Amino acid sequence: MRFAFEDRQVEFRDQLRSFTEKECTAAEVRAAWDSELGWSPDRWAAMAELGLLGLTVPEDLGGFGFGFLDLVLLLEEAGRSGLPEPLLETVGLAVPLLLDLPGPEADGLRAEVLPRVAIGESVLTVGLSSMVAVPAAAGADLLLLEDAGELHAVAPAETRLIPRPSIDGARRPARVDWDPTPDTLLASAAESAPVLARLADRAAVGTGALLLGVADRLIASAAAYATDRHQFGVPIGSFQAVKHQLADALVRLEFARPVVYRAAWSLDSAEPAVSRHASMAKAYAAEAALGAARTALQVHGAIGYTWEHDLQLWMKKAWALSTAWGDAADHRARVLEALLAEAAGPG
Amino acid sequence: MNVVVCVKQIPDPAAPQALDPQTHNLVREGKLILDDSDSYGVEMALQLAEQAGGGEVTIVSMAPNGETSGLRTALAMGAAKAILISDEALRGSDALSTAKVLAKAIERVSPDLVLAATESTDGYTGTTPVQVAELLGLPSITFAKKVSIAGGKVTVERQTEAGYDEVECPLPAVVTVTAGVVEPRYPSFKGIMAAKSKPVDQLTVADLGLEGQVGSAGARQAITDVADADTRQSGEIVVDEGDAHERVVQFLEQLKLV
Repeated sequence: MRFAFEDRQVEFRDQLRSFTEKECTAAEVRAAWDSELGWSPDRWAAMAELGLLGLTVPEDLGGFGFGFLDLVLLLEEAGRSGLPEPLLETVGLAVPLLLDLPGPEADGLRAEVLPRVAIGESVLTVGLSSMVAVPAAAGADLLLLEDAGELHAVAPAETRLIPRPSIDGARRPARVDWDPTPDTLLASAAESAPVLARLADRAAVGTGALLLGVADRLIASAAAYATDRHQFGVPIGSFQAVKHQLADALVRLEFARPVVYRAAWSLDSAEPAVSRHASMAKAYAAEAALGAARTALQVHGAIGYTWEHDLQLWMKKAWALSTAWGDAADHRARVLEALLAEAAGPG
Repeated sequence: MNVVVCVKQIPDPAAPQALDPQTHNLVREGKLILDDSDSYGVEMALQLAEQAGGGEVTIVSMAPNGETSGLRTALAMGAAKAILISDEALRGSDALSTAKVLAKAIERVSPDLVLAATESTDGYTGTTPVQVAELLGLPSITFAKKVSIAGGKVTVERQTEAGYDEVECPLPAVVTVTAGVVEPRYPSFKGIMAAKSKPVDQLTVADLGLEGQVGSAGARQAITDVADADTRQSGEIVVDEGDAHERVVQFLEQLKLV
């Protein structure tokens, strides 16, 4: 058994890293906050050029047909760079959801939409009726929305968006007002139930992967600051009270990483306990990122509170993503539920 | 149009560099990457081949330990194939030895154009490309900031201190390109996957018939000593006691700036 990523998966990650180092600097992340969409259509086009947007699109529709094991490292990198584009919503959630839909009716929609996703001409997002707001709703070309357990495909023209505030200025969630019609219907409630369960699992793993990257960035910047900032003639990182906090944050991150990677594997291999693994991933990653944010702020001291310092950009991502698609407490409850169900046995 | 691009695979400039205390050579044992300054040549070559409506881009490189990761980057960008010369006998090669090796390898492809960076980011000798041209008996143009091909000639805007000269020469020729000449493309995921199946010919010194002429055996250049550069002197600190503006003017007068 091989417990490591394929060379290809690591090379894709490295390639996305060299891309974001140039195209998604902290200044770019900050600029996204002031932009109309919260993200950059130019960068989206460059991401399509790179092949990132076709990652989960099947080969016969112009993509690679890869799964979450390929995506997980890329999402982690997206979190690390603070990439504001709706990568998770489009590539990690909406595309696999369309692929999960049963019936030949969905084939038409897949054939129409997915090739356009791969070349960057269609941005997708997903939303549940239980959500206060739908992420990336404003820039989406098609919204996959749940209502009364049914899945619908809704064009932006058929919706009214009411922007909702987010602590992460690049996130731009919106309440979506729309009316379900037979024309928008994708799948009945019975057909949608397993598809929505898979969506919840992917969302947990996907946000978990983003959070790993966010935590990594926060720890790296705090460690760099602790090396650079001198007090009493020595770097503050040489004080135990500072370095132990950073070490604890790193330990939390390193413990969360394999849990997220395992959940990605479970998603791709239809592992029966996938929901439990996905919830564990989100719970661990959220706590790692929130812990990293707290530690990073503490280590930076007063400057970490300022608007001008980049720390806030990642700290706020940690806060926003840790509650998206269920916070750590929700997911711990899901783990407990799953464990009790497994212990009770089938039936 | 067939273009050869000479590239160097260098230690990651972001990692700390070291010199071997005995030989004073750069330690190049870890993973090597494509020299960033070479990505401009690769991009230029790909664009020229596309504009010419066909032809291949071949990457030629000399590196220790059969290193190919930098070559894979160039192949992922779109080059068709690569030639790697890796041989223990090449250890201690100077710029001329490198040029002999590259020239012999380039002869096998008989390209219409050879591109290289003006200099590498780790060695900075900046002499190898013109030596290659001399050994191949080809004309060379250095410091190109714009390259175009038409009617069997290459026309180059050659960077000078004051601006640029427009120069042209018949093909085949060797041209060195400056950083920023074009915007190098990012290797796409498709390119990365395709690069795995592209051919990399691995050659030895014997394959090129250069035994005894290259490596430390053929080196005409040796590093005899390495010394630290002078540390920068700290400037004069003027404490303002009401006369600081006069002191500043005096200082500028000294420099003949006012």
